[in-house]
Amino acid sequence: MLDVSGLTTKYGAISALRDATLSVGSGEVIGLIGPNGAGKTTALATIAGLLSPSSGTVTFEGADITAEPPERRLRAGLALVPEHRRIFVDLSVRENLKIGGATVPSSDRGELLDEMAERFPVLKDKWNVSAGYLSGGEAQQLAIARALMSRPKLLMMDEPSLGLAPVLVDVVFDLIVSLREQGRTMLVVEQNATRLLDVADRAYVLRSGEVVADGTGAELSARDDLFDTFVGGAQ
Amino acid sequence: MTELAQNLIDGLGRGSIYALLALGIAVIFGVMHLLNFAHGELITIAGYAAFAALSQGWSWYLVTPLIVVTAVVAAVVIEFVAFRRVRGASDFTLLLTSFGVHFVVSAIFLLYVSASVKTFPRPQWVTNTYSLGPLNVEVFDTVVIAVTALTLLGTTLLLQRTMFGLALRAAAEDFDTARLMGVRSNSVIRGAFALSGLLAGIAGVFWLMRAGNTVPNAGIDPMLKGVLAALIGGLGSLRGAVLGGFALGLAEVLLRSRLPETIAGLTDGFVFILIALLFIFRPQGLITVAHAERV
Amino acid sequence: MFPDRSRDVAFPVGGMLILFALLVGSGLLYQSLGGGAAERLVTTMLIDAIVVVGIQIYVGNTGILSFGHIGFGAIAGYAFALFAISPEEKLKRIPDVPFGLLDVQLSPWLAVVVAAAVTLVIAGIVGVGLVRSGAQSGAVSATVITLALLFVTHEVARNWPDLTGGDRAGLAFPIGGALNSQLPIIVTLLAALIVARLYAQSSAGRLAVAAREDNLAARAMGVNPMVQQLVALALSVVVVSVGASLRVYEDGSILPGDFFFDYTLVTLVMLVVGGRNSVTGAVVGVAVITVARELARRMGQDGFEFFGLGLDGVPADWIFRENLQSVVLGLAMLGFMLWRPSGILDDWELDEWLHRRIGSGTAAEPAAPEPAERSTTEPIRLEARTIDVTFGGFQALQGAGIEANANEIVGIIGPNGAGKTTLVNVVTGMVDPTGGTVVLGTTDLTAAPPHQIARAGLVRTFQNLRLFGALTVRENVEVSTLVARDHRNGTARPDADALIGAAGLWDHRDRRARELDYGNSRRLELARAAAMVPSFLLLDEPTSGMSDSESLQMIEQVRSIADLVGAGVIVIDHDLNFITGICDRVYCLDRGQVIADGTPAEVQADSGVQAAYLGAATA
Repeated sequence: MLDVSGLTTKYGAISALRDATLSVGSGEVIGLIGPNGAGKTTALATIAGLLSPSSGTVTFEGADITAEPPERRLRAGLALVPEHRRIFVDLSVRENLKIGGATVPSSDRGELLDEMAERFPVLKDKWNVSAGYLSGGEAQQLAIARALMSRPKLLMMDEPSLGLAPVLVDVVFDLIVSLREQGRTMLVVEQNATRLLDVADRAYVLRSGEVVADGTGAELSARDDLFDTFVGGAQ
Repeated sequence: MTELAQNLIDGLGRGSIYALLALGIAVIFGVMHLLNFAHGELITIAGYAAFAALSQGWSWYLVTPLIVVTAVVAAVVIEFVAFRRVRGASDFTLLLTSFGVHFVVSAIFLLYVSASVKTFPRPQWVTNTYSLGPLNVEVFDTVVIAVTALTLLGTTLLLQRTMFGLALRAAAEDFDTARLMGVRSNSVIRGAFALSGLLAGIAGVFWLMRAGNTVPNAGIDPMLKGVLAALIGGLGSLRGAVLGGFALGLAEVLLRSRLPETIAGLTDGFVFILIALLFIFRPQGLITVAHAERV
Repeated sequence: MFPDRSRDVAFPVGGMLILFALLVGSGLLYQSLGGGAAERLVTTMLIDAIVVVGIQIYVGNTGILSFGHIGFGAIAGYAFALFAISPEEKLKRIPDVPFGLLDVQLSPWLAVVVAAAVTLVIAGIVGVGLVRSGAQSGAVSATVITLALLFVTHEVARNWPDLTGGDRAGLAFPIGGALNSQLPIIVTLLAALIVARLYAQSSAGRLAVAAREDNLAARAMGVNPMVQQLVALALSVVVVSVGASLRVYEDGSILPGDFFFDYTLVTLVMLVVGGRNSVTGAVVGVAVITVARELARRMGQDGFEFFGLGLDGVPADWIFRENLQSVVLGLAMLGFMLWRPSGILDDWELDEWLHRRIGSGTAAEPAAPEPAERSTTEPIRLEARTIDVTFGGFQALQGAGIEANANEIVGIIGPNGAGKTTLVNVVTGMVDPTGGTVVLGTTDLTAAPPHQIARAGLVRTFQNLRLFGALTVRENVEVSTLVARDHRNGTARPDADALIGAAGLWDHRDRRARELDYGNSRRLELARAAAMVPSFLLLDEPTSGMSDSESLQMIEQVRSIADLVGAGVIVIDHDLNFITGICDRVYCLDRGQVIADGTPAEVQADSGVQAAYLGAATA
């Protein structure tokens, strides 16, 4: 479904992502793990169109979208739950969801809103509350629900458990599991590698902007040197 | 007491126009971080359109919509011709671009019309007043306040209830994330300019009715009032801009009526100094819009 | 070693002399051919040049767009007229002038000085307001304050006729009383050019430009941008005041409209078309715009006819008509902003170019200096204790702390979002903690402003590289040596060249920082921080974005530079190879708390640390 090949993205002089190649097949849940500064967020932002790569291509469902702006990619079915959630704090919960569904026909929007209210009871309770008043866990659920409103074919999540209390991390991973059971295709970036590998079909390990390892979730979990690979201790 | 009430009404009338101007400036600042020094040109352009139409014998009933439409069209055209190219540029470039637009527009009128003041007839009722108890109220102020109230209500509904309004508010808060939601940057910015043109057009109707004339640099005054009001309120805050407009109107009226006769001409000067003091002690304006500095 | 007299004094003066000779020479040549009208044009151009160079001193070096300088010009112009015009003339126009000014008459040259002094006082008040409003490069509210100043002076000039003669009469010298020589203008222009250029090369100018390029990084290097902005404003206002007084003296009169929007436009167009960041650019802008205006004026009058050449079929009536020059000015401003916002020359300076061509020679790389003597007494100690930080509802740090001696290298590790950078931000004054203390030696630095903390000896680098891009490698380092010279007492300080050599940047020393590749940028940031001779270097992810081999090189570089200046190091990094290779002790943070500390090996073996990094298998 998604093919990324030879992607390099720079911030000024810094190559945050170097020659990264990865793919996501329909119905797969793919993990992207790695330490701080490995280029995970850069990878997702480039795939979503927020950053322009200096080389490489992004292909989605056979179409080259490397030069498309983010709003076109969303319409093609590519949604990103950004790092730090970035919900619109001046908008209410319902308005956040509505804007998430900006691209679906307005006749379907009501139905989708009902669906989200059902799936995320915590949001339903705060339907008309300004999103700035949500707790971290609620905000994360809102960010995911907002992305789901666009009926994405591929849902990308950037660090969904970042900064959450352990019990809320459970909630997020339960959500990932239930989305996976529904057959959603997902590309998830997580610092919490162990738990992500439990739920991912396959995963890539990024370090210093490069893909240094990949394999099924089970394969990677089983590797003793995962921690070392992660932090660069393996020499 | 009576005097204060009188000031309040006068200030409200004056402040209404400022509020509309400031709101238009705040809308643009929200989506593209541009403080639009060319906002007043919308009134200049509309003013010349009004002058042309009125000298052809049009009535104010026809000229009023003409002014509003001209301002909207001008705003959209200016966005397309100039501001589109500097999206995301530095604040320095943005400021000078809008300053440049201001000068090009006024120079074109200087070139093709003339430097002299073009006067046109004002509607009869503009100077009429009526009594409300001890107060003397201008018909004009009443209309201005009523129309402004309706406009603000309409704008609020637009922003709260429509997908466009939602997109505009989302884009003002976080442009990139709004694009991730599929909000088209061109549409939302063009829409913001159209809205700011509409607000400037409505303000322009009253501004021109009261002035009864236009000159090539007629835009400076409304621009300055709008910019200052938007800053008083706290740049980027729509509510703040409206509040700032009313605050500015009231401050002007209060100062003008309280200052001794000999220096009443310096009202604007005093108002500017008051505003400078406000910035010094509260740089973020009346209403704070949080902008965290990422380290 | 500093200042480099040839680069900072001789070449700037020489360059300005050449520039001055070119401008004045071509002006005099033109007026010798053209008669009275040409003479007026040249005089106007020379005065404009003084004013524009004056504005450049502020706008160019601070990056703050000012509409208010012509307002200062108005103040100076009126003050000059009030002091220089004879009581008899004043009696005709302003018999009721307040403050006993009626009987005052100074010689014109004394009046110029007094006018500049009066303007300087007002500029001081405005400047404090600007600084308080958070003025920094590109700041919108600062620009609006300057715009308000322009309008206030205009309003006062129009509405206080007792003082200014108001809108109609104005103030005027008697017929024949105006300046009738170009010499004072020419001399002033030369002085203005040299002052502007020497200022830019002086330590004050350098620090102002550093703050323009990156306000936060400048504060982290001990620069107080507010002071530098005030210095630039003061100098700039003096030059503009003298220019404005000369304009009034030359015109023989002053009206409110003389120093208002139109003149603001003319001077700003000249500045931004030439290139606001350079004095050479300002002068080029003056010349280009003067010529363009004059051509437009003539074409507006006579149609397209130039040196006898006409162009048939040009729709002359549509374009070549009166007031064409206003359109040309507006379009010049707009066109440059849309297509070349940095102007013709950007920050190119004639003298710097000459210095690169003929002046720099091939200086030998300085020998590596001896490491600083580590004092044998107790090393200074940094203690950050029980720090709490809350952002909105989010607790970024909860009772975290770190202690270090100035003879060790201490690492901070932890997963994303653990609070590592926040901790460094608190220690360096960029985030105010809600609780806890930061003490260096015996000095309590909790919540002190960043520039004071830097001067006290805690100097940092940034995760996302914050160099002064328009400055050269050497100038970047010199910013710190300048601050260190004035604010870090007692320590032996290596000169900038030695540090540049130690960082392996000698061959790049005259390149602009923004042209460096990534590894060299990181090394420059390190050298710039070390040049402060700090007690502690705080490095935030010095190897992020580097390959493994580059990271290993960085270990040596950090060590040798820290040794050179005798500083302790506190380093955040994600790369454990780097951390174990360089650190004596390591702290691990997770969720805003210290979860482990000890030797690198101890911390790496800690199961809590591994769980924090990889995530617990079960919550």
